[in-house]
Amino acid sequence: MIEGLLTSEATWLHFFIYFALTLLLLLIVLGFVTYAILAERKVMGFMQLRHGPNQVGGRWGLLQTVADVLKLLIKEDAIPRAADKPLFILAPVIAFTPAFMVLAIIPFTDRFQFADIGVGLLYYIAVSGITTVGIVTAGWASNNKYALMGAMRAAAQMISYEIPLVMSVIGVILLTGSMNLNDIVLAQESGWYILWQPIAFIVFFIAAVAELNRVPFDLAEAESELVAGYFVEYTGFRWAFFMLAEYVYMFAMSALITVVFLGGWLPLPYLGFIPGAVWFALKFMVVIFLLIWFRVTFPRIRADQLMEFGWKVLLPVAIANIFLTALLKEWINLF
Amino acid sequence: MSGEFFIFIVLSLIAIGGGIMMINLTKVVHMVVALVFTFISIAGIYVMLSAEFIAVVQILIYSGAITIMMLFGIMLTRHNDQSETSGGGLRKFLIFLAILGFGLVFYLGIYQLELGEPSTSLHENNTEQIGIALYSKYIIPFELTSVILLVALIGAIVLAKRDDEEGEERE
Repeated sequence: MIEGLLTSEATWLHFFIYFALTLLLLLIVLGFVTYAILAERKVMGFMQLRHGPNQVGGRWGLLQTVADVLKLLIKEDAIPRAADKPLFILAPVIAFTPAFMVLAIIPFTDRFQFADIGVGLLYYIAVSGITTVGIVTAGWASNNKYALMGAMRAAAQMISYEIPLVMSVIGVILLTGSMNLNDIVLAQESGWYILWQPIAFIVFFIAAVAELNRVPFDLAEAESELVAGYFVEYTGFRWAFFMLAEYVYMFAMSALITVVFLGGWLPLPYLGFIPGAVWFALKFMVVIFLLIWFRVTFPRIRADQLMEFGWKVLLPVAIANIFLTALLKEWINLF
Repeated sequence: MSGEFFIFIVLSLIAIGGGIMMINLTKVVHMVVALVFTFISIAGIYVMLSAEFIAVVQILIYSGAITIMMLFGIMLTRHNDQSETSGGGLRKFLIFLAILGFGLVFYLGIYQLELGEPSTSLHENNTEQIGIALYSKYIIPFELTSVILLVALIGAIVLAKRDDEEGEERE
């Protein structure tokens, strides 16, 4: 359906259809964020032998996040007097917009995708980099040393981990011969890339956790060192925007990992009767669970270890993987 | 008015607006943020010219990396600097004349410009076409660029290192 819309003429009707579809996606994402936060708290609770939220909304705490968001929205919107006011207001917007923009290129099933562009994979990485500008702006505008330090760490971390992230997917691009996410999914019919590119998957996953600013790489908001990092001074809905951006990125990154390494909507052999959307959702949830598992299991690493790990371990491994993949491809072509 | 024209107008307005803000704002960090808007809308114009790879790289390198570097540099050095408005009436008048002349020259230059038949197959496998052109036709300039980048990198290291040794001597 969307394919047809993209090639059709630009009229108001199509504009509204598009608008409605985007709104639908936004609602899906917001619903996801609501329950991802709950799931994270619940899983963390179980892993630490606690119960997690269990008061609001029945035995499973199903309305806990809704109550939390409501509280955030009716909070007083405080802007510090010494803050750089225009930047302070602009920063959450710059941080959140790209988080939603990257969702446009992700093919959820073979039918449901908003933009089928040739450089989809690169688009994701490029656009998600704009969020860093928002984070640095937020840290700067707050006029607070903890915020500034958090912003600096975020910037340094995101720049250094973006490189292994790009380098690790080059192996996948080499095997596919395209950066289009649809082509990448279709090329996995003979086997998911997690089997063909295990090294790339590991490097990509670690770099993705770092890009998401999650434990063990959450130095930008390390609560025991920096209070809350770059959003110390934010309250109410502006703070909610930063949290929202973080969880929308979790959604987007899990979807991207599903598409690039786990075969997207493709079913397992002999199970093709289950629709693609269900397969996508299942794989997606496995990745989300893995991310939450990471968060509970690993301790936070030091800033210098973080940099050393990024530049001295992940990057060489990713480059070696490109070399191996090129050899493998040539070797396959020989026969 | 076609949708393409409308988008072009919006993008170029943001690009020019960002540029003007960049010149007129007084705080350095504000300038960099204005510059980000210019970079992003220029990437949008690249997309309209069906150069999607260039557009994405523009966002990746300019809006992402270079802006962060600039913000980093500003924050680590004297960041409370505000640019001062300077100059008297005569100076302003001369600057105005210079801008007028610049605009006139560019108008004349661009108005007469004939680019020939626009290429129609650029949007198909855009990245692949760039790769083939880069590694077959323009391989020597490409390699030379990498050498220049390497020289710049080593230069930066040498400069930073000398600073460090002086610091040690002072201690």
